[in-house]
Amino acid sequence: MKLYLYGIINSSDQIKEPIYGLKGSNVYNIPFCDIGAVISEIENPIQDVTEGAVLEHEAVVEKLMANFAVLPARFQTIIDGRDSLLSMMQSYYRDFKGNLERFHNKCEFGIKVIWPADKVKANILKVLKKDEQKILESDNSSSKRFIKKKFEGYKIDKEFEAKADKFIKVMDIFFSRFAAEKKLEKLKTKNLLLDAVYLVEKDRENDFREAFGHIKSGPLGLKYLFSGPWPPYNFVVLSKKSDLLRDSEQADLFDKVTRCQALAGVDSI
Amino acid sequence: MIMNSVVETDSAEEFIEEIEKAQNALPKKIDANPKTVEKGLAKLVLTLIELIRKLLEKQAMRRVEAGSLSDEEIERVGETLMKLENKMNELKQIFGLKDEELNLNLGPLGDLM
Repeated sequence: MKLYLYGIINSSDQIKEPIYGLKGSNVYNIPFCDIGAVISEIENPIQDVTEGAVLEHEAVVEKLMANFAVLPARFQTIIDGRDSLLSMMQSYYRDFKGNLERFHNKCEFGIKVIWPADKVKANILKVLKKDEQKILESDNSSSKRFIKKKFEGYKIDKEFEAKADKFIKVMDIFFSRFAAEKKLEKLKTKNLLLDAVYLVEKDRENDFREAFGHIKSGPLGLKYLFSGPWPPYNFVVLSKKSDLLRDSEQADLFDKVTRCQALAGVDSI
Repeated sequence: MIMNSVVETDSAEEFIEEIEKAQNALPKKIDANPKTVEKGLAKLVLTLIELIRKLLEKQAMRRVEAGSLSDEEIERVGETLMKLENKMNELKQIFGLKDEELNLNLGPLGDLM
């Protein structure tokens, strides 16, 4: 029997209300020390990725999020069996624990912003034409004309980036006030000005939404996509155990893990 | 199904289009099979050359902007870059490659093109 993993939670206790996962399977917590892996049993690997299955996975993670700090597992994370799961928990215990502490009482929001790139570029070109830098005294040779054309493109791109930075800075000032952590990606495509995720404390959720409302109704004239609250998919940081631990610490962890492992996996819910 | 999460936008289709573009900017797998191995290798090599060419071009533009090139130097740099670009276009044509295929994810710097 394989185990389908929904996420790691900051509790080794039973999940009180019943949760049903993929194909109506019973979801339960396998404790490991003071954390737990939330799983359901699965006989065969999922053949088809359907929207329904993805939503079932997401619904479980969101239900967990209501009561616990959660490290959401990627859709279709399947583990060979209980031994493999416990071995994984042992290897990553410190990482999991650190992330769960960071995520305590927090959730993720996503913000995407589209701007009219072609219009922005056209405006830049208009301004550049007005005060064109006289780089070439005469442009009668093909190589100078080539450089002139390239230089124009270079100036447009540079100004385009600078404008993007400026817009993003304005928006980020609003959102950052209510966020514990953030990840911003600029110009993933020329139109997708910003693709950002913010980690927000649950009691600042409303402030964050309000900040978005202000930006949306503001004078920037951009298009927005706001989403959340999500489990903190984009903020999980894992590092290899060997990089994290010195020998002495490994010994400590091993002792702790061995004690915990003896208790783990017996009282699944 | 999903409890509290919301997705709010007035421009869903535009966002879907842009997200798809961002995801498709790079091939998910390298297509390496006996029939396409030559093209695959050419693509890899040309991508690297294109990266170097773009860096050279950018450096030249910075120097032009700073005004640190004389008229003769601009002439020379222009000729070199132009020839390099023409040669790249020839090679792309020979191997049937388009500009958007010569892309490279430069990690935190973003994509090459």
